Amino acid sequence: MTATHTRPAPGTAGQPAVPGARRRPRISVSLPYLLMAPAVLALVALLGWPAVNVIITSFRKLDLGELTRGEVVWAGFDNYAQILTGSDFWVIALRTVVFTAAMVGATVVIALLLALLMNHIPAVPRVVLQISLLLAWAMPQLAATTVFQWIFDQQFGILNKTLVLLGFDSFEGASWFASGTSTLTVVGILIVWQAVPFVAMTLYAALLSVPKDLYESAGIDGASGWQTFSSITWPHLKPVLLIVTFLSILWDFKVFAQVWAVREGGPNGESTTLPVLQYLEGIAGKHFGVAAAVSVLMVIVLVIVCAQYLRLLLRSQEGEL
Amino acid sequence: MTIRRIGLSALALAIALVFAFPTYWMFTSSIKPRGEVLSTSYDLVPSAVTLENYASALLGSDFLRYLGNSLLVTLTAVACSLVAGTLAALAMSRFRFRGRKGFLMLVLVAQMVPFEALMVPMFLFMRDLGLLNKLPALILVYWITTLPFTIWSLRGFIDGIPIDLEEAAMVDGCSRAEAFRRVTLPLLGPGLVATSVFAFITAWNEFLYALVLMRSEDLQTLPVFLKTFQNAFGTDWGATMASATLFTLPVLVFFLIVQRKMVSGITAGAVKG
Repeated sequence: MTATHTRPAPGTAGQPAVPGARRRPRISVSLPYLLMAPAVLALVALLGWPAVNVIITSFRKLDLGELTRGEVVWAGFDNYAQILTGSDFWVIALRTVVFTAAMVGATVVIALLLALLMNHIPAVPRVVLQISLLLAWAMPQLAATTVFQWIFDQQFGILNKTLVLLGFDSFEGASWFASGTSTLTVVGILIVWQAVPFVAMTLYAALLSVPKDLYESAGIDGASGWQTFSSITWPHLKPVLLIVTFLSILWDFKVFAQVWAVREGGPNGESTTLPVLQYLEGIAGKHFGVAAAVSVLMVIVLVIVCAQYLRLLLRSQEGEL
Repeated sequence: MTIRRIGLSALALAIALVFAFPTYWMFTSSIKPRGEVLSTSYDLVPSAVTLENYASALLGSDFLRYLGNSLLVTLTAVACSLVAGTLAALAMSRFRFRGRKGFLMLVLVAQMVPFEALMVPMFLFMRDLGLLNKLPALILVYWITTLPFTIWSLRGFIDGIPIDLEEAAMVDGCSRAEAFRRVTLPLLGPGLVATSVFAFITAWNEFLYALVLMRSEDLQTLPVFLKTFQNAFGTDWGATMASATLFTLPVLVFFLIVQRKMVSGITAGAVKG
């Protein structure tokens, strides 16, 4: 997959590979720039500008009134002060961090166990397991959310029916979406269910890349199962595990669709996370400056959490460039 | 040893059931007779197969209009991504030029930007352009969401095609563009398919920007429609599951096409090892 070997373009290296390459027309000096122009324009205009703009907006007082009048009112750090002194923000931020940590932890642990399991079973059950993982992975988020709402439905959901059948009569007509905690638990299960397949497959691929003769010589040396795991499997697995953990943090921290689709942050705002807060302030509440400040704070938290990963990733890519 | 293997295999199959169940349940609920969906009886297998849920999802709602919106937006964005992405990937892979490294970094960083955090400036930007409530706004957003990955992925595929082939064609009298079109482009086919499938899935799935930028109901895409569908249909779970199935189907088909490669590669490696 990572065929990273790049060759010098013809004619740029000392000796041209073919005689024809020497008489390159002059246009080819600007050709690569022309080829890149559409992508660069799109990236700068549609990604770079909004990224700069979110910071600028976070220092403006920008509600519906200012927006329609086209006024530019600078607010300094007012938006940040308003957000950070509000009692809601810290509860929501803490909830988001705990929610993310729980989902990432569950995803990585379950995926790791599944990858180890796949490594120890015959081909047939392994392929069956992989196909079922693919099914969970492939379902669009909103379809999955809808299906989970149906499974967890108060009256006719299969889960409550099953629990009652098993003798837990208190689940008859029990609502899973009556409190923020249980709502987020259901959403968390949904997200973990869809996130495990990618992580498990990646870790399984990493397991397969461990040279088999290492295990053979460990067997000859009489190493126990645990010793083999800790001295051979784990060192190979660790770098991949780190990367998928950081990727999961990145993805789970900014989850919006599932949380919003299930209860729009309710009941009583108890399942509101930072991305939901940003939507409620900005798009629903028309406090664009405040919402931009929430965005900036969100990114700052993300960068702090993921700084180490970013450094690792950029360093690992440097050789490839 | 064998008992342990049998035990582990049984465990794996039990876990497989758990992971496959929601998909199974979505599909079977969509083909159950209406009375059976909303009953207190306990049926894991439908007693009869009916298409009435599909009929009411397709005919009793604006499903087809939203399907059209979704297809238009997604396909256009993917096409734009492929064109701009192929050109940029070609430049990065086949040329050495000033600023190349900076551009690669830009693409890498762009891939990690949390798009959700750009909700407000994107909304304001589209408003300034007069594109709120217009499908081109979504096309632009999905173009930019899929572009960094497309460039990165296609660059990998082009790197894998030996440049000697193009050079040989140029010796035989092809121009640089012809050499690319006749030699490299056909070999790039599988890479283009895989990349566009992933881009398609990303855009097809997207919910937040469709919700933020398309305030008018008849311009929404399928994900937003699915969310509002339940309100519109009350508790018609049969029709809801039929819509969810129709929404999932293209993704599932595409996913299996691309993933088969990956999984067979993984299993082949296991057998060989």
